[in-house]
Amino acid sequence: MRELLNPMSKQFSEYLRDETRIVGWSEGICFPTSEHEIISVLKYLFDHDIAITVQGARTSLNAAAVPFGGYIVNLSKMNRILGMRRDAQGGFRLRMQPGCTLRAIQRDLTSKNFSSNAWDQQSLDAYAEYKKASPHFFPPDPTETSATIGGMVSCNASGAKGYYYGPTRKWITALRLVLTNGETVAIRRGETLATGRNISFYTEQGRRIDCYLPGYDMPHSKSTAGYYIEDNVDLIDLVIGSDGTLGVISEVEVMLFPVPETIWGVACFFRDEEKVVEFVMRSREQLDRMASLEFFDGNSLNILRRQKEESTAFAKLPYLDQRFAALCSLELHCPDEETALDQLLLLGRLLEQCGGKESDTWVARNESDLQQLVFLRHAVPESVNMMIDHKRKQGLDIIKLNTDMSVPNHHLGQMMTMYKRMLAEFGLEYAIWGHIGENNLHVNIIPRNKAEYDQGKRLFEYWAGEITKMGGAVCSEHGAGKLKAHLLRIMYGDAAVEEMRGLKTAFDPKGLAGVGNIIANTPGDESNENNCMHQTGTL
Amino acid sequence: MAKIIIDAANCQGCALCIDSCATHAISISNGLAQVNMDLCVLCSICRDSCPFSAITLSEPETAADCSPAEGVLVFTEQHQGKLLSVAFELLGIGRVLADKKQSALIAVLFGASSRENAGELVAAGADRVLIITDSRFDHGIEADFTHPLYDIIEREKPEIVLIGATDFGRALAPWLAARLRTGLTADCTGLDIDQQTGLLQQTRPAFGGNLMAQIVCPKHRPQMATVRPKVMTESAMDYTRQGRIIELAPPSSIDITMEILQTLAVQKQAGISDAEIIVSAGKGIGSAKNLVYVHEFADLIGAEVGVSRPLVDMGWSEYSCQIGQTGSTVAPRLLIACGISGAIQHLAGISRAETIIAINSDPDAPIFSIAHYKVVGDCIEILQELIKNYKSAGRKEWQKL
Amino acid sequence: MKIIVCIKPVPSSNEVRLDPQNGTIIREGRESVINPFDEGALEQAIKLKETLGGEIVTVSMGIPDTARLLKDTLARGADQAFLFSDRRFAGADTLATAYTLSLGIKRLGDFDLIICGKMSIDGDTAQIGPELAQMLGIAYCCNISEVVDVGTTHIQCRRITDGRTQLVRLPLPALVTVGKRYDMLRFPSISGVRQSLAIPVENRNALDLQTDLDRIGLNGSPTRVIRTFVPQRAHGSTEIVGDANKQAEDICRIVDGVR
Repeated sequence: MRELLNPMSKQFSEYLRDETRIVGWSEGICFPTSEHEIISVLKYLFDHDIAITVQGARTSLNAAAVPFGGYIVNLSKMNRILGMRRDAQGGFRLRMQPGCTLRAIQRDLTSKNFSSNAWDQQSLDAYAEYKKASPHFFPPDPTETSATIGGMVSCNASGAKGYYYGPTRKWITALRLVLTNGETVAIRRGETLATGRNISFYTEQGRRIDCYLPGYDMPHSKSTAGYYIEDNVDLIDLVIGSDGTLGVISEVEVMLFPVPETIWGVACFFRDEEKVVEFVMRSREQLDRMASLEFFDGNSLNILRRQKEESTAFAKLPYLDQRFAALCSLELHCPDEETALDQLLLLGRLLEQCGGKESDTWVARNESDLQQLVFLRHAVPESVNMMIDHKRKQGLDIIKLNTDMSVPNHHLGQMMTMYKRMLAEFGLEYAIWGHIGENNLHVNIIPRNKAEYDQGKRLFEYWAGEITKMGGAVCSEHGAGKLKAHLLRIMYGDAAVEEMRGLKTAFDPKGLAGVGNIIANTPGDESNENNCMHQTGTL
Repeated sequence: MAKIIIDAANCQGCALCIDSCATHAISISNGLAQVNMDLCVLCSICRDSCPFSAITLSEPETAADCSPAEGVLVFTEQHQGKLLSVAFELLGIGRVLADKKQSALIAVLFGASSRENAGELVAAGADRVLIITDSRFDHGIEADFTHPLYDIIEREKPEIVLIGATDFGRALAPWLAARLRTGLTADCTGLDIDQQTGLLQQTRPAFGGNLMAQIVCPKHRPQMATVRPKVMTESAMDYTRQGRIIELAPPSSIDITMEILQTLAVQKQAGISDAEIIVSAGKGIGSAKNLVYVHEFADLIGAEVGVSRPLVDMGWSEYSCQIGQTGSTVAPRLLIACGISGAIQHLAGISRAETIIAINSDPDAPIFSIAHYKVVGDCIEILQELIKNYKSAGRKEWQKL
Repeated sequence: MKIIVCIKPVPSSNEVRLDPQNGTIIREGRESVINPFDEGALEQAIKLKETLGGEIVTVSMGIPDTARLLKDTLARGADQAFLFSDRRFAGADTLATAYTLSLGIKRLGDFDLIICGKMSIDGDTAQIGPELAQMLGIAYCCNISEVVDVGTTHIQCRRITDGRTQLVRLPLPALVTVGKRYDMLRFPSISGVRQSLAIPVENRNALDLQTDLDRIGLNGSPTRVIRTFVPQRAHGSTEIVGDANKQAEDICRIVDGVR
């Protein structure tokens, strides 16, 4: 047991931060390689009242993986795919440890090449069948493919294809949870449902746990804002998106989906950004094979243009005509080429009707071109990160300010107008991009000084209120973590947050897991924010 | 017409050949492999992949020129009056082949300083050296060389012609091969004489170096090959060797088909091809921003930075840093490969490195099969440690060799 | 201006592995794509057409599936596409391929410029360009990086040869091969795709081209591949173990030793 725990030292310093670049602190770290080891560690820490922060690949964008005290439980060494099986409908399922990265999962699925030496016979049989079947994939596609499945489940991650395929939640069929006291819960979708807002379940050790669920209703748009709560909710959905606050996920079973025969990508450029909203509305109605719809505003395109000039890393970006003021990039997933062609020509007509141009498009119909489009899409957030890093090197202590809010379909235009009007009012440097198909746009503010940083945060809080009034969600795909936890107070109110605390307490009576995630400290107690900003100096 | 023949007696219907076919021409029917000749491109890889030797390529007789040919002719390239080292590599292998065929080794050299250099070629093993002394040939225009070289080959009727696979050589040789209507094998890394047939066996990489092909030119003469530089061993110089130097008349006129208007400053930057120490990066470094660690470490130890092809394709780095089949061939004393899996087209570019330290998180990465030192770990983590080590220990920053 | 661009289909990936159990060769990347160097060639042609006007004809010698790739070139900016396809063309080495292409091109009428990719990523020979130029009796230049100027009688390009960059001048008609992929082939637009639907890929077989049967396909190939194999490397190596810190120390020692 002692060998598992490593006191914190310089060697582990990188584990004190995640993708937000916020740096925390902790007493130590462990890297369990099995559920058994997780249980040993948790029991020990429980007995000593030590808080835990669970980590996968630390790609979190909300400091969920940043520790502020206690021990880090890092699951990156639990990266084996444990088995495969077929379900009653003939679909394929994969069972895996929480530290498997999305990249490795996709790679093994595409190459049909798994490390199967320790698999049981049922898995080997399913594997043999998979080799003969058409290739499958795991649909949730957050941009950062080094994310682990455990992390994706914890924040209910989604990517561009969430528009068609849904978020991670939709694809999880079973999971195993280790509670902070070392007990285990085996959860399979459909087996344990709440009755109204009460749910009861048993640990594998025979203890019964009863929970009262919060009374709030979730927003009518893409959401990872707090716990997933509804009448008769499935237990598995409570755990999915819980940001490491209910325990440690030690195993996950996922559903796979056959790769569509024909995948085409189309980048549609607009010379007038105002035309985009109508295009989005119409294409959602008319293009039934559209799998994703992404947006990049004029500032994003300018960032790409600058990067192409200035940075070797982006020299391979295609040339962007100066007249292009906005971009909508979409994918068509079709059963065959004829369907794809029909959709493409329909898209062309739609564009012309909405004030776009058929000739202002880039059509990707093969792997290499599709990858070019992916490279283009990823270059924007990459560039903004590089710009922030550059400013930090120059001594400005900031982190990226980004929003992750969404609204119901009919409020899309209103939301966008509000963002742009107010950003212009305060003269802030920004870029907006995101999953416009799901009305989930990320406003990224690049603050030039502390005053602008503070102004940005105030804007976010104001928007949180307005978005809530529109029936939207303040966290849509990144999870609330620590950074956005205070927005949940705005969205649901303090009483609801206390109800969330009650739910958490049923799982974690000592309040050791994921302290500060989702459940922000009470207003007036600035320690949550201070915790986050602790190592960032001026803030 | 040629076709693929499946021997029903040997074919087990195992279907392994299906995976080897790039054009999906093979299927299994009634337990036997079948080839759809509308799809087959006769690449013959299925033949080489069948474990039961059930696949053969049938060929009809080809009419060919069977007039006698003898001798190994080597075109030696010079630049600004200096012979290139590949010329001596060609003479090295040329001598071996000529000895096996018990025939003469003939060197050909054009240029204003041919007379001064001819003796070197004799010392390197040439029995005869045919020179044309004329400054016309010092401009490096392939088109100027084509006709005079063709005339020599027609006259001498060598059995084998070798040309260095420099850019110049690879532009010159195919024109000649087309004119001579003979076979040319590009960028050979291995040459030998087959004991039984007496044919030149030419080995070269294909598919970006992932596959090696052994090629012969059975009925056409001369058998031509361009030879990859820095692979063959230079001949040992023996200044006591005797050989004839024959001066040929310069061609009366040369059709001007290419003029060089300007030669821009020759890239005298320390390129990776000549670097003594190289730190190279592959996809395993994770992202473009991590290249900064590679560069920092390289600067600390006075090394050049190279990359594998995917990094150039993804726009993380420049083509000038690319090592491998379609990039530069390097022969450093030390190569530290970070996050490079070792796809064979990359290995083709580094096989002559004296010492290779490979760092990769995948213990089964192919690069470990040629690395002298295997380091399994996170290359970025290790690079960061290396940088710390070099900075803290106050090791002096090395100048690039 | 009439520009001909030669296109070769290649497998989408060069990955080749040996099945460890039975030693068979397994090819990955089974869909054909346009040889990346030829993409660069086509992009050069489209740029020239944008500035100088004229037409682009893409040609290829290949199996029927290659028509799909030629159709795609029509969506990206080519005006006509020809596929030289015949069972008897199979097995061709570079000489036989160049011969077939030369006959096909001769039937296209007068042209100003042929642009080829420097080499294919599967054959890697870089021989077709010069061989084709010889058979057509035209000037040629390999490994150009840029077309600088095109007049009525001459073309000026930058080429790279053995580390030197040169500005060269060739009389038209000429053939150039494009080396470094400076410019990615542009995407087709939806309007390009729409336009290409109406343009057929023209097929020509051995009879149409009146080829000499002794000079095409395997028949017409002086070279023969007698064996292909996946290169094996047997090499012992020393493993440096330990945590990152220890590994770095050991590496430093080796580096210092080499110096």
